[in-house]
Amino acid sequence: MSLEVQLLLLLWGTLVGLDLVSVPQIMIARPIVAGPIAGALLGDVRTGLEVGVLFELFQYDVLPMGATRYPEYGPATVAAVSAAHAAAGAPGIGLGALVGLVTGMLGGASLHVLRRLNAGAVRVAAGALEAGDARVLMHVHVMCIVRDGLRAALVTAVGLALAEAVRFVAGALSVRGVTLLGVAAVAAAVAAASAGTLRVVGRGPSLPWFIAGVLGGALMAWVR
Amino acid sequence: MRSRPRPLLGRSLLRLFTVQGSWNYERMQGIGVGVAEEPLLRDLQEAGDGVAYRAAVARGAHFFNAHPYFCGLAVGAAARAEHDGVPPEQVERLRTALCGPLGSLGDRLVWAGWLPFTSGLAVVGVALGFGMPAVLGFLIVYNVGHVALRWWALRAGWTYGARVALALHQPLLQRAVAWSGPAMALAVGAALPLAARALALPFAGWARSALLAAALVGFVLLWLSRGRLTGLRFGLALLALAALVGWLWR
Repeated sequence: MSLEVQLLLLLWGTLVGLDLVSVPQIMIARPIVAGPIAGALLGDVRTGLEVGVLFELFQYDVLPMGATRYPEYGPATVAAVSAAHAAAGAPGIGLGALVGLVTGMLGGASLHVLRRLNAGAVRVAAGALEAGDARVLMHVHVMCIVRDGLRAALVTAVGLALAEAVRFVAGALSVRGVTLLGVAAVAAAVAAASAGTLRVVGRGPSLPWFIAGVLGGALMAWVR
Repeated sequence: MRSRPRPLLGRSLLRLFTVQGSWNYERMQGIGVGVAEEPLLRDLQEAGDGVAYRAAVARGAHFFNAHPYFCGLAVGAAARAEHDGVPPEQVERLRTALCGPLGSLGDRLVWAGWLPFTSGLAVVGVALGFGMPAVLGFLIVYNVGHVALRWWALRAGWTYGARVALALHQPLLQRAVAWSGPAMALAVGAALPLAARALALPFAGWARSALLAAALVGFVLLWLSRGRLTGLRFGLALLALAALVGWLWR
C-alpha cells in the first residue's frame, strides 16, 4: 500500500474520530459510513462495505449516553478495512475484526484520557472562565477540539500499524485458522447486535415490532 | 426587555455542532454550551452592559449535560432569559432543570431511535446489494433530521425563554418520541438476519454451523451477563479462541 493511501486513511480516520464526539456529529463515525469510504480510498469498496456492516453490528451494542465509557468503532473500522483489504474475502474479515476490536478498545480508553486532560485545561482556566472572559472560553474550547483531533490521529495511526503487522501474521495462518477467525468475527457481531438491540427494545411496546422486523428480514434473506 | 439578536442564531447554531468538543468530567458540555450561547449574549455588551455580558458568559459555561442535539434548547432559553432580565439564580436553576429531560428525550429520540432506525435501513440496503447509495442515503436522511432538530431546539429555546418546558410538549415531538422506538426495532430487527446472511455468504458447510452455534451461545452469554460482558470483550475472546483452535486444528 502506498504512503499516499496510508496518509489518506489516516486523515479519514482522524475526521471520523473527531465526528464521534467533538465535531460535527454527522455520523461519518458510524462504521457503515467509515468502512465503505475507507474501502473506496483503497479501491476496494466491497471490503469496506463488508467490514462496515460487521462493525455496525458491534455498534448496536453501544449506547453513547452521558458519561458512559464505550469503544470507539470509527477509526477502528478504518484500520479494520485496511487489514481486511490485504486478505480479501472470508480471511480478510476475521483479521479485520481482530485489528478493529483492539483499535476500538484503544480508542475508548483514549477518550477517557482526553476527558481528563480537558478537565485539567478547564481547571487551569477556571479564573478567567468565572470572570466571563469569552476569548479564554473560546481558546479552551478550540484547544480541546485540537486535542481530540490529535487523539483520533494517534488512534488511527496505531490501528493502521496493527493492520500492517497483521498482514505479516496472516501468511502464517492455515486456511482453517483464517476461516475460524472469520466465523468468530461474524458470530460475535451478530450476537452483540442482537443482545444490544434487544436490551434497548426491552419488553415494552417495541418488542412486537422487533420480532416482526426479524421475521421480515429472515424471510427476505431466505427468498434471496 | 432588551432587543433580541435573532440574526446571530445562525452563528450559535454553527457553534452548537461543536458543543461536545470540550467535553470533560467536571463541566461536561458546559464549555461548549457557553461557546454556543456567547453570540446570543453579545448585544448585552453592545448595549453597554459589559458586566451583565461577562456574568452571563460565565454562567453559560457552567456545568451542563444533556443530549447534544437538544443543547440548543438550553442555549436559546438561557440566552433569552438573560435578555429578559431573569435573576441569575433562576437562569442557573433553569439550566440545571433542563439537563435531565433534554438528556432523556434525546437519548430516546436520537440514540435509541432515529440513529439506529436510519442505520438499520442502511444495513438492510447494503445487505440487499444497494452498496454505496444506501450509505449515502443514510448520511443524507439522518442529517436532515439531525440538523432540523438542532435548529428547532435553538429556535424553540429562544422563543420560549424561561418557559421552555412548553416547547417539549409539542405534539410533533411527542409523536416522534412515541414512534422512534417501534421504528428502530422494526428496522434493526430486519437488518440483523439480512446482515448475518450477507456476512456468512463466504462460509460453507461446517463453518456456517459453527457460526450459528457461536452466535447463539454469544447472544445468551451477552444477555445473561448484561453490564459485565460487552460485545467488544466477547468478540475479542471469541477471536482468541478461534485463533487457538485454528492453531491446534491444522
